[in-house]
Amino acid sequence: MEYILKNGIVYDPANEVNGEKKDVYFKDGKIVEDVSADAKVLDVTDKIVMPAGVDTHAHVAGPKLVLGRLYRPEDSRRGVTQKTKNERGESGFSIPSCPTTGYRYSRMGYGTVCEAAMPPLEAKHTHEEICIIPNIDINPLTLFGNNWFILEMARENKIDEMAAFISAWLKITKGYGVKIVNPCGSEAWGWGMNVHGYDDKPPYFDVTSREVVRALAKANEKLGLPHSIHIHPNDLGHPGNTNTTIETLDSLKDIVKSNSKAASVRDQIVHCTHMQFHSYTGTNWRDAGSGAEEVAKFLNHNKHVTGDIGQVTLDETTTMTADAPMEYDLYQLSGLKWVNADIECETAAGIIPCIYSPKTPVSTLQWAIGLELFLLTKNPWQINLTTDHPNAGPFTRYPRIISWLMSAPKRMSMIENEEVHNWAEKRTSLATLDREYDFYDIATITRASNAKVHGFTDRGNLSVGSNADIAVYDLEPNNFDPSKDPEAVEKAFSRAKYTIKDGQIMVQDGEIVSTKPSQVLWTNVKGMEDEEKAVLDQVMPFFTQYYSVKWENYKVHDHFLSNPIRVDIEMEGK
Amino acid sequence: MKTITFDVIKRNQIALEMDEVIPDNIYSWEAEDFDKYAVPVGNSRFPITDFFDITVEGTADSPAEVKMIFNGDCGRVKYIGNKMSAGEIIVNGDADLHVGAEMSGGAITVHGNCEAHAGREMTGGTLEIFGNTKEFTGASYIGEWRGMRGGKITVHGNAGKQCGECLVGGHIHVKGDCDILAGIHMRKGLIEIDGNVNRWPGGQMKNGNIIIRGRLGRLLEGFVEEGIVTNPVVNGIEFEGTFIQYKGDIALKGKGHLYIDAEKNRDKLSAWEDEDDEYISLGDNRLR
Repeated sequence: MEYILKNGIVYDPANEVNGEKKDVYFKDGKIVEDVSADAKVLDVTDKIVMPAGVDTHAHVAGPKLVLGRLYRPEDSRRGVTQKTKNERGESGFSIPSCPTTGYRYSRMGYGTVCEAAMPPLEAKHTHEEICIIPNIDINPLTLFGNNWFILEMARENKIDEMAAFISAWLKITKGYGVKIVNPCGSEAWGWGMNVHGYDDKPPYFDVTSREVVRALAKANEKLGLPHSIHIHPNDLGHPGNTNTTIETLDSLKDIVKSNSKAASVRDQIVHCTHMQFHSYTGTNWRDAGSGAEEVAKFLNHNKHVTGDIGQVTLDETTTMTADAPMEYDLYQLSGLKWVNADIECETAAGIIPCIYSPKTPVSTLQWAIGLELFLLTKNPWQINLTTDHPNAGPFTRYPRIISWLMSAPKRMSMIENEEVHNWAEKRTSLATLDREYDFYDIATITRASNAKVHGFTDRGNLSVGSNADIAVYDLEPNNFDPSKDPEAVEKAFSRAKYTIKDGQIMVQDGEIVSTKPSQVLWTNVKGMEDEEKAVLDQVMPFFTQYYSVKWENYKVHDHFLSNPIRVDIEMEGK
Repeated sequence: MKTITFDVIKRNQIALEMDEVIPDNIYSWEAEDFDKYAVPVGNSRFPITDFFDITVEGTADSPAEVKMIFNGDCGRVKYIGNKMSAGEIIVNGDADLHVGAEMSGGAITVHGNCEAHAGREMTGGTLEIFGNTKEFTGASYIGEWRGMRGGKITVHGNAGKQCGECLVGGHIHVKGDCDILAGIHMRKGLIEIDGNVNRWPGGQMKNGNIIIRGRLGRLLEGFVEEGIVTNPVVNGIEFEGTFIQYKGDIALKGKGHLYIDAEKNRDKLSAWEDEDDEYISLGDNRLR
């Protein structure tokens, strides 16, 4: 089937197209240069046309989502809808059901989402959930930062072995890249402890976070993976953690980026996730302040780093992370119901509801710091819009964040009218920042940059040959001032006029008109087979002795994947 | 005034969900509007006229002018009066789950028994049940931490477990007996129980008041006796009689109060001296 998106105002930062009125052609799921006279015309005159959104970091599939849904039935009842001709019934706000997740991303004009934390032991479950999320492609990142084998290899600085291990484990788990969460800290949680700072060690393993992160970054570059290491640094959510964050990112600047074809798409060595949670000054919550200026300054001077924000949306939500000791700290603060889990030999997890109230000082401070990071970072290619869904708020609030970024008057009115606590004004510089994003910037931080960060070339852009993943929004940018009408911006970005995924129209006028099964993207490194076998032989006695599952049950077999997209990487020098 | 009568034709195996059929939504509906309406049943919708004979009399300009009458067994009709803000609903029979849930105004009367979650999270209005209710009367939704916030629930029969769970306002009056954990997690409001209470009222309560006129089976350890009070005034209402007053739940530094009838629960009183059948006051602040 051929289509023409006629007369749209196109924003395609990857091709430096900034608000040009032009047609976009697509055929058989791909963007093409031209189509025949039989092509169906979709009249989008003067409406915004962008590549479909790419979410850099969210938690949408896996056991912690299931656990969250089970223990928060009160969340599941929010947003309940009856099933329709095209969709199953929806439920949930911060932890929507699997089908709901797909529908809501589609409605916002998104096409690809990164599941940011997949424990190897729970990878099967994660893929099973991905199978029932419709309409979006998902690339899961495998957790490595507290894996016992990795800790031992890092201690002995065995980078080659580690690279082979990662290569093997990406195949075993069908993962896309390397995720690190509170390196060494989640392991220390097994002893009821945490690590503090970048040079602390967990019990037993005589290795620091610094050694683990640097080793993983080197191994990642040795393999030339499409995505860099994706790190959630130590000390998340602790006042004064700005130093740890900068120290972590700074320690990686000497690592040489791979010049493999896959890695050449991206610029960064490290992607720092939910930076808002890592940008606090002070010594406790009484004297806490904003470290956004320091972190943004670091980003502005260091091109080896990209980040996403984890913007607080001022909602009641559910936090869930492999940073289990942090969740315990949160439980100590709030006293709300708490779930804790240990993933044997690999990682840990915690879940707790969180109420980000605009009336409370800490939530407001977090909200303001996120916005500061957006507004102080000069290059939008270095930052991505996320809420670390659902940790700082549900992904369905992206349109609201876009409206905040595009309207300084809106931000000021929230501060001046005391819609938020006065810490936003007293402890951050938000009230002094009058920068406003334009639609080109928004397209950058929600699709172009995000795709580049993950090493995608077939999405996040409207180049000929790319997937026909396209979003059209019902706004006429040439006749509209987003600064003056942020509510209209939020409304338009919440309900796409069209969402097209692989050439199929999924959403029309904000309603789901069709669905398609999700596809999982995973990375297959070629040329490491011998090294992988050697490392498997090495770890197998330990695995057999200590894991509670048998090796054959550990692996994610092909039948667990629906329509996988295998990203083949030729190992450099092989 | 508009009166809409729903005569039950058949009791369906799968419950009907009537949350859309409330005075707020249907005050302007005529008989033909009901003919067109399909009610959610499980994962489908069916014509409401398959289940009810509906008659409409009179006119209404607002929800407050609507009276809905259900005649027959509504034991498989859920969400009657859910989120209603005005008007009147009378059920001449039993009602299924969530009757009056989240209602903010108006009045519901049920001349039968109710399933669980009656008056769940209601914020205003009155709900009167002449039969028994099952679990979670006036409570929060499962997992939620805010229950009933306002209005009044009167149960003429017995109430099931966890009546008034997470109560943060309003008044629940159970004229019969009450099962375990009445007022668990409550933070405000009043629960009045005329009958006996099985066990553990007020567990983890932070504030609010519970009055028990009947016999109490077992009290939790987190309640400390404050003494004997006569005709206490609680939430602006004077309760006749002599009560043992407790404070709790101290496990959560709670400041709630539990009053139990002193005569019927004399074994609970720590310094009871009944040789001459007189109460010995323990003073206002004496703790056990």
